[in-house]
Order: sequence, then structure tokens, then C-alpha cells
Amino acid sequence: MATAELSLKLQASSGSRIKDFLNANLINILAAILFLLLAFFLLYPIIAVLLKSFRGPDGFTLKYYQAFFSKNYYFQSLYNTLLLGVINTVVCLVIGFCLAYMTTRGPWILRKPLKIIALVPLIAPPYLFALSLIILFGRNGLVTRMFDLHWQLYGFGGVVISQTLAFIPLAYMMIESTLMSLNPNLEESAYDMGASEATILRTITIPLLAPGLLKAALLIFVMTIAEFGNAAILGGRTPFLAPDTYTMITGESDFNMGSVLSVVLIAPCILIFFIHNYLLEGKKFTTIGGKPVASEPRKITPLIKVPFVIITTVAAGAIFICFAVVFVASFYKILGVTNKFILTNYLDFTSNQAIYNSIRVSFVAAVIGAIIGVLLAYVIVRGKFFGRTFIEMVSLSGFALPGTVLGIGYLLAFSAPPLKLTGGIMILALNCVFRFLAVGVEAGISKLHQIHIEIEEASADLGASFLTTFSRIVLPIMFPAFIAGFIYTFMTAIVSLSAVVFLVSPGFELAAVKIFDAAVYGEIGIASATTMKLVLIVMICMMILNYISNKTRLGSGIAKKPA
Amino acid sequence: MKAKFSAVIVAAIFSVVLAGSAIAEDINAYMGTSPDNNAKIAKFIKDKTGITVNQTFQSFGEIEARMKAEAPNFNADMVIGCGSSTGFLAKKSGWAVPYVSPAWKGVPDVFLDPQGNWYNIANFSFVLVANKDRLAKSGYKMPESWKELADPKWKGEILMPSPLSSGTANMMRFSFLALYGDAEGWKFIEALDKNIAYYTRSGNAPTDLVGRGEFTLGITSDENVKKRLDDGYPLLWSIPKEGTGYDGTFAMILKGTKKLDACKKIIDLLGTPEFSELMAAIGYVTPRPAPNALYGKTLPKYIKLDLDKASDDKAKNNDIWKQKLRTDFK
Amino acid sequence: MKKKGVAGYMDSKENEKPMLILKDIHKFYGANEVLKGVSLEVKKGELVTFVGPSGCGKTTLLRLIGGFTDISSGDIILDGQRINDLPPNLRDTRICFQNYALFPHMNVAENVGYGLKINKWPRDKTAARVRELLEMVELEAFGDRMIDKLSGGQQQRVAFARALSLEPKVLLLDEPLSNLDANLRLVMREEIRKLQERLHITTVFVTHDQFEAMAISDRLVVMKDGRIEQVGSPIEIYEKPANEFIAGFVGYVNFMDGRIASIEEKTRDAVIDTEYGQIGITLQQNDINPGDDVLMVIRPESVNISLNCGGGRQNVLCGSLKTYMYAGSIAKCTVTIGDRTMIIDQYNPRDAQHFKHAEKVEVEIPRSVHLLKKK
Repeated sequence: MATAELSLKLQASSGSRIKDFLNANLINILAAILFLLLAFFLLYPIIAVLLKSFRGPDGFTLKYYQAFFSKNYYFQSLYNTLLLGVINTVVCLVIGFCLAYMTTRGPWILRKPLKIIALVPLIAPPYLFALSLIILFGRNGLVTRMFDLHWQLYGFGGVVISQTLAFIPLAYMMIESTLMSLNPNLEESAYDMGASEATILRTITIPLLAPGLLKAALLIFVMTIAEFGNAAILGGRTPFLAPDTYTMITGESDFNMGSVLSVVLIAPCILIFFIHNYLLEGKKFTTIGGKPVASEPRKITPLIKVPFVIITTVAAGAIFICFAVVFVASFYKILGVTNKFILTNYLDFTSNQAIYNSIRVSFVAAVIGAIIGVLLAYVIVRGKFFGRTFIEMVSLSGFALPGTVLGIGYLLAFSAPPLKLTGGIMILALNCVFRFLAVGVEAGISKLHQIHIEIEEASADLGASFLTTFSRIVLPIMFPAFIAGFIYTFMTAIVSLSAVVFLVSPGFELAAVKIFDAAVYGEIGIASATTMKLVLIVMICMMILNYISNKTRLGSGIAKKPA
Repeated sequence: MKAKFSAVIVAAIFSVVLAGSAIAEDINAYMGTSPDNNAKIAKFIKDKTGITVNQTFQSFGEIEARMKAEAPNFNADMVIGCGSSTGFLAKKSGWAVPYVSPAWKGVPDVFLDPQGNWYNIANFSFVLVANKDRLAKSGYKMPESWKELADPKWKGEILMPSPLSSGTANMMRFSFLALYGDAEGWKFIEALDKNIAYYTRSGNAPTDLVGRGEFTLGITSDENVKKRLDDGYPLLWSIPKEGTGYDGTFAMILKGTKKLDACKKIIDLLGTPEFSELMAAIGYVTPRPAPNALYGKTLPKYIKLDLDKASDDKAKNNDIWKQKLRTDFK
Repeated sequence: MKKKGVAGYMDSKENEKPMLILKDIHKFYGANEVLKGVSLEVKKGELVTFVGPSGCGKTTLLRLIGGFTDISSGDIILDGQRINDLPPNLRDTRICFQNYALFPHMNVAENVGYGLKINKWPRDKTAARVRELLEMVELEAFGDRMIDKLSGGQQQRVAFARALSLEPKVLLLDEPLSNLDANLRLVMREEIRKLQERLHITTVFVTHDQFEAMAISDRLVVMKDGRIEQVGSPIEIYEKPANEFIAGFVGYVNFMDGRIASIEEKTRDAVIDTEYGQIGITLQQNDINPGDDVLMVIRPESVNISLNCGGGRQNVLCGSLKTYMYAGSIAKCTVTIGDRTMIIDQYNPRDAQHFKHAEKVEVEIPRSVHLLKKK
């Protein structure tokens, strides 16, 4: 009896070995398909840009690069962009640090409100701040008229302020998560030993946070120099690379120079992306096992407390005012000039049409993006083929690339048959898909790490085929990651301006472009109303996302490997 | 449950993507007059022919850039409103579908291409505009000569479109160069630049911004001036004594269009007196004689221009422009 | 016992004055009362352990003493000085956290010397003291090592040395051994106790492991739900628990209900009526009277178990053997008597072979049994 059972078992296990073999191959095939997609929609456009920068009418040439580096005009553009990046990064880090410190170590009552204010700019398109600055400090701005200011908003100053406000949440989130993972006992030990708050900051907190701060700095730098909206609206006579790329292509139709500028813009991004991924991995100074725990409020000495409180208050106040101002301005034709309260801005047909279009595009992008993201995550985590890390890197790289560059790339790559996509909705959607893939992929990867492979093996052992295991076990568990990818892609796609500004076609306006046009034309009321509508949509998305992630946290953390 | 869910998703994608495809007769067009005027022309076409024109406003420069990028596979069927340089380029490059429209018989030669590659539906010029209130506040009088604009007293108070993106500004530039000659012309442009607050993306923007009181003076296309005056904007306008330049607003059928008949119908419509009346009512100088709403009976004094040369010189001029003009940082 | 002191810790002649006094301490988190009136006095040089189930408040209490949490009401008096309002860096207490909280960006010597450095000790004095401390915890050669290159036990010792560096009046240890594996725990437990005794340093220890607590403490403080249930030496707590909870917490226990039938004045022999018959004990408590309802606290190792149910001798009960888990030096048994189950530990088990297949056994209740008065 026992021997018969035993032999049956042996047969079954050799059968399952065959199944394993097929499974591995299936994963490899899937990986190959996904990689082709990535190569086609992400790498190919970039290469197209790169090639165009070298290809003159007579073949390979460096003359465009020569022009770039020799002409003063372009040099200034580059200089301004880099300077903007540096200033922005420093200011955002300082403000983000103060905010994060106060929400993790400050008094309880302050924590929630500060956190909300710090994160609120996330729901707004980055160019909301440009708009609010125009309302306040523009030629007809409220503050300008009230105090008869002569400050020129359009120019470097305006761009720095709006960019800083737009990226505070990014800085805050990254610093806060590092601070949270910092074992509070470390600071408490130092405190216990007699260190003052300032000494603790200097000798313990900041040195331990250093890798996290550096990571944040790099990311902010890259995103700042790539951001198109604020620089384009408030740049005035001061050239910046991203808007210049736009003018080069759409104004002068000089694709060669446009490509050169794109390459120059991309270079620091890619460099930083590498540093980010390779040098800073594994520098885990601070993590403790288990969940990060909010530490108790400490008595912070005035020496630290006062400047921190001032900085956080000013930042929080500025953010609040910007939103408030745009909200109010949406009810007037031009706030400060025509003072009649109206609702017609919200009913404006073309901007509503544009929002409808944006929703359509973003929805398609979100669905495709979430699916590809989840599949990629699975392939990256479970696959055993060569080049896995490369695929991961490529899928995440869309994030680091400036939107303008990908926009131009798509124009170059997809405007001629057999690959003609321009003029339609798909090119816009695909552009968003591959730019924002990173979130779905990352969410998927982290979710998959929570599912130990033994669960899948158990399913296979019980007789399930690969596809069954995938659809009945893996997919349901990955569902939250799918949703996260979906909602994030939707949210970002709907407000993104940098790439779509190149790809819109006649009669098909997008909300972001509409706001941009309106703002530049001085139609503040319409711009504000459309912006507020976008904000509302994004807010709803975030609430759904929050709700789902809270619900699924209860079911997460399945079968972690025993320590 | 999962199958149903995925079916719903697939259906949703399809409906969303397909929802855009319209059914009735319609064409896509690149139109660069102004958002308002684009809409007016589209409505006129729809009313008279039943054809829907899908369009989004882009400046002349942007239209030219787009066509260069897309050639020879255009995403639009027609262009209704692009600069002369674009028209000439299109003819040279074979981008247009030649069509000799009978409806344009009797129109002066300058308004059409003998082979039917392009049609000039309206001439426009540039004018000087001023905000009544700001001007009064400043205590100065409306400048009577273009040269006056270089006076330092106007520093930061003048708006002008950028020739890098706006066909109007391109026209302004080559008009000044033609008026004063190359050397003096660039000197004037550089002196003027010191007073320019910033360069706008489109040729009509200065009308709006000056009208709203953001700046005192503007050098702007005359296309929108009449409308803004009617809207009640406190604008003054004039053509300084040296005269003004002019440029055409070209229309053509693009190669590769699948709606050739519809396009031909539209070209025919554009040659009718009714259409000229529409454009004249806006303030354009039209192929068919019609009462001009802006200029009335006396058409402006024109500077002598060679539009072909202007088109050829555009790239060179852009380069010089970028080199010479200051750009400040910080 | 020799108390060889390191500089500063000479034999104290002031053993009488308590080093640490906790007076009626209450702590609220919002509406939740976590400490409900805790009072305690700790003598100088004592090792006192707070022990209790999760959520009893022991860690909160420790953090309160250290100054990391504010008191809602009550007083903490350290060496005669009221320290309620002092922040941690001004109290003369030092805490050693469960996860050691060693600064990962510094090496061992820098960690140990951190307190000295920020208190502005001159460099040579610091170096000397660090050396001294490392010797004390037997890590002299490890000064240059980075923290992540140390084993768990070594990290523990570094944390300990760091906590001692500034000669605190009270040392607070928050579950210092919980992260170590079982063997290491036993070793480190001994080392800590030895060091503590040698330095004669007042120590408050927190653990959830009752056996650990009993092994090293001078006194135990058993806590539950924010209150102190009993304070006493390990022997007192184990042999004379004040209530059911404590009895069950510090070890395995069997409870048996009964009523005092009679007490013989001179010999203190008492007879208890139980459902299993009469049990005779020698009463060691003064607060028990005839007629009282009591709960007998019977430790598993104090019960004798033997094969074959014999005649009805006093204190001997018949039961059936349910489980018998032989583990060499000890056999853990459960015996069903009536409808109750009794846990019995048989040390140095004899007749193991026979017990394995036995069904009827007899169980002898010891004469010295602690009684809990039932209210």
C-alpha cells in the first residue's frame, strides 16, 4: 500500500517538473514581449531623438552640438536650468526637512494638518503655482495692485518660487519616509546621553539621513529641470531648456536643435538615475525591522524650534494661499480687473471638452499602464532570465526622462507609416503609459515580495497550471498593485503637460494644454476654473487610492519568510 | 467575476477610444488666425456647406513646424490660415494639392497662386495698440513713429510677439528690416528689444494683454483689434507714419487628404464675396472688395516687401535674433 | 560579597535611602489610562525587574523614569531630587533599548564614547574611560569595529557599556535580551547580573520573560493593566503569589478550590475540604481562618506522581494519566482527576517505561501549599 502511494507521488512530481519547465518558458516569453514593448515605446523614441541630434541634411554631423555649445543663447538656457535645479533642490530639501521633522517629532496636534498641507500640492498640476503667482504678483496681480509693487514676476524668480512650491511634497515624502524608518531609539539614546536637540540633529539625525537626503536631492533636481509648465508660463525672457525645446520644435520646427537640447536635458537625468539606482542601493543606515513607528513628540529647544516653525509656517501658508487664490479666481473673469462673481468659467464649453478628452486619454493610459506594470513586475520578480535588472531599469526610466524629450521622441518616431500614430488618441495614451510605468511596476514588485514563492509552488503542487496559479492566486493578491498603478497613472496623465503639448492634434484639446494656453493668454478665470476641475478629479482619485490601500493593508504581508 | 471584470474593462477602453470618431462629414484643419476667428470661420463653413471643421488654434509658426514634422503624412486635410512662408514652402515641397477654384475668378493676382497651390484668404498687418488708461496715467502721447518706440521711457512697457513662434512677428521683423535696411533695421530691433517686457507666443496676445491693462503698448496683429474694441477693451490703435507691413493668411489642401471633395468645396467658399465680407468685418484686407471694419475706407500705408525673400531669410534671421538680443537670468 | 568598584562605584554605606521613588504615577494617553497609580521604592544597588504581560505598562513606566514620556500625575524622585520636569538629557538615568540603538555610522569606541564627547570630556580622559568600559564588557579589541560587524551579543555589550559610560545613578534596561537567541540569552543574563552587582548600580529591568526576571532580580515588580500586582523577591513571588494572576504568570500552576475545615493552633496543621476529599497542609499564612474559602496554589514540580492507585491515604488522589512527555531530565505529565486536569512535572523521572503505558496513577499533594483567600 505504502509503496503504491509512493510511486504515484514520484510520477506526479516528475510531471510537475515538466510543468516547471513550461512555466519558466512562459515567463520568458512574456518577458520578451514586454521587453519589446518597452524597447519600442520607450527606447526607440529616445534613440530617435539622439539620432536626430546628430543627423543633419547631409548625414552625421556634430554641427548642431557645436552650435549649442558656442552660442551664448543656448548656454544661458543651460546655465539657467542647472541653476534653477540647484536652488530648487536646496530650498525644497530644507523646507521638506523642516516639515518632515515637525510631523514626525513635533507636537501631536500639528502633525496631521502639516502633513496634509505638505502633500496637498500633489493633487494640483505643477503649473497651478505659476497661475496663482500670476494672480497675485502678475502685472494685474492682487498684491501688485495693493502694494504698488514693481517686482517683475516673469523671470527666474517667478519660476524658482513656483517650482519650489510644486515640489515640496516630493521632498517631504522622501524625507519623511526616511525619518520614519529612522529608529527613534537612536535619537533618544543620544538625548539620554545629554545631547541637546541641535547636537542630536547634527551628530545623529542628519548623518544617518544623509543617503536618503541625497536620494531626494537627486530626484528633485531631475524633476525640476525637466518640468515644463512653470518655466514656460513664468519664464518671461529668461530661457530654460524645457520651454526652449518646445519653442524650438513648435515654433521654429528645428528638430535637429530641438533634439540637441533634449539630449542635453536628458544627460543629467540619466546620470542621476544611474547614481540613484546603483550607488545608493544598500546604503541602509537606518532601517529597523518591522513597521516604522511614529515617535513621541520631544521637547524641541527654541534654537531649533523657532526657525523650523517659521519655515514650515511660511511654506504651509504659501501653499494654502496659492490654492485659495486659484479657487477664488475661478469665479471671476480676471480677478482684480473684472470683479463680477460668475460661474461661466466652470461652464466654458471648450475647457470642459478638453477635460473630457483628458479623462479619456488618461483612462486608456491607466488601464494599459496598470496591466503592463503588473505583468512587468511579475516577470521581474519571478523570472530567472538574464537581463532582468536591465528590464527593471528600463521600465523605471520613463520617470526620470523629461516629458518634453519623450514628446519629441514620439513625434519623431511615430509620425510616418507604418508607425503612424500621431494625430490620434493612442499616441497620447501610450506616451503616458510608458512615462509613468514606474509606479505600477514598483507597487507590483513590492507586493510580489510579500507573496512568498512557496505560495505559488503550493498551488502548483496541488495541481494548478501556471495560468491557473497566475489568475487565481497571483493576480488577486496583486490587485492592489494594479489599482495603485491604475490610479497613479490616471492622476499623473491627466495633469501632465510636458509631453502632450507636442502631441495634441487639431480639435482634440487636452485640459493641461488648455490651461497653459489660457494662462499665457491672460484668461485667468478660465485657467483657474479648469485647474480646479482637474484638482477635484485628482482628489477623488487619491481618495479612492487611499481607501483601497487601507483596505488591502489588512490582507497584506502574507507568509513572509521566517527570520 | 474576473472574466466579467476584464470584459468590462475591454469594453470601456474600446468605447472610450472610439467615442471620438465622428460620423458626419468633417475635416481636420490647421488654423492659425486666432481662437475666436478660427471659430468664426469654422462656423461660417459649417453654416454654408454643412462640413464640420475640427481645429485647434496654433500660431503660424507652430503650424509650419507641424507641417515640416509631419510631411508628407499630414494629420490634417487642409490648412486654413497659415503664413505666407508656409504657403511658399508647401508649394516648393509639393505638400499641397493643386486645385484651381472657379470661385476665385476675378481676384487680384497677389491673392492666389496661379497653379492653385495656395489661396490668400486675407491680408493682415500689424499695428500699434495702447491701453487708454495706462497711457493716460503715464502722461505720454501715442507714438507717431516706430522709431519712438525705442525711447527708453517705454522700458518694460511694450509687448511684442516672438518671431520664433509667431508669423506676425516674423512679418514685423522683415518689415522693419525692409523699411530701414539690414544694418539700421537690426539696430532698431535691438534698441526696441530693451523696452520689450517679454515676447508672447502668438501674434494676437499683445492685443489681449494690453487691452487688459497689463502693459501700456503693444505691437500686434490687426486681426483681433476690431473684436477687442467691440468687446469694450480700452484700446487705442494706430499705424505710425512709416507705414506697416503685411502678410497673407493662406489656405491650401494638403496632400494625402481623403476628403478632397469637401476641401474643394471649402476652397470655393473661401473665394466668395460673403466670405470676404466676413473677414473684412473682422478687420482683414480681403481678396474680394468688402467694407473693412477696422480701416474703413482708407487702407493703411504699406511698406514695400518681398515676401519670398522674407520666407527664405527666416532661419537666418532667427539665428541673428537669438544671438543679438539680451536674455537676462536671475 | 566583594563589590570591587570601578571608579565612582565604591561600596556605598547609604544603602538605606532609596535611590528611586515612584509616587502614585498615573499616565494617560488621551482617554486611555495606561498607568493607574504606580508607587515603588528602589534601593541603591538593587536590580528590580518590571515584569508582566504585554500592555501592562512596564515599558511605559520605564520610559517615564527615563524622561522620554511625560507623567500625567505623580512624582519621580531620583536620589532625593524630584525629576518630573527634567528632560532625558538632564536626568542621571541611562537607558539601554531593546534594539540597542547603537549609532550605525560610528564604530564601537565612538558609540561608547558618545556621551562623554558631548559632555565635553577631554579627549584623553574619554579614551581612557572608553578603554575601561570595553574591558569591563570584554570587548577591548573591538574599538574600531563598525556596529554592523558585531554579533547580537556583542552589540548588547556595547550598548551596555555605552549606558554605563557616564556613571548614571539608575540604569534602565528595556528588554535587553529579547533579541538574542535562547543560549546567548542565558549567558548574557548572567554577565549582566554579574556586572551590575560588581558595579553596585541601581538597575530597573523590563522583561516579559518571567523566568529571566526571577533569575537575575533582587526584587520583582509584577504588573498588570497599569497596576502593580505584587512586589517581592523572586522567592516570595513564586512561593507566595498574592493572587491568581501572579501565581499563573510566574510559572505553571494548578489551582484547587477548597474550604478550611480546621486549623490546629499549635502545629498549624490545617485540613481543607475539597471535592476530591480532604487535603492536609501545614499552614504558613496568618490570615487564613477556619471556614474560609481558599484557592490552593499547587506547583507542578511539588506534586509526587506514582503508578498504581492505592488506598486512600491523605493527600493522595487517584487519577488517569492523560499525557506523559518524557524529556530526559524531566517528564511533563497531565493527569485527569475527576473533571479537572492537573499538570505535574516529574524531575529525574523513574519508571518512565511504565509511565508511558500507564493509565491509572496516583498523585500526592504536598503539605506545604500556598493559599489564596477567595473573596
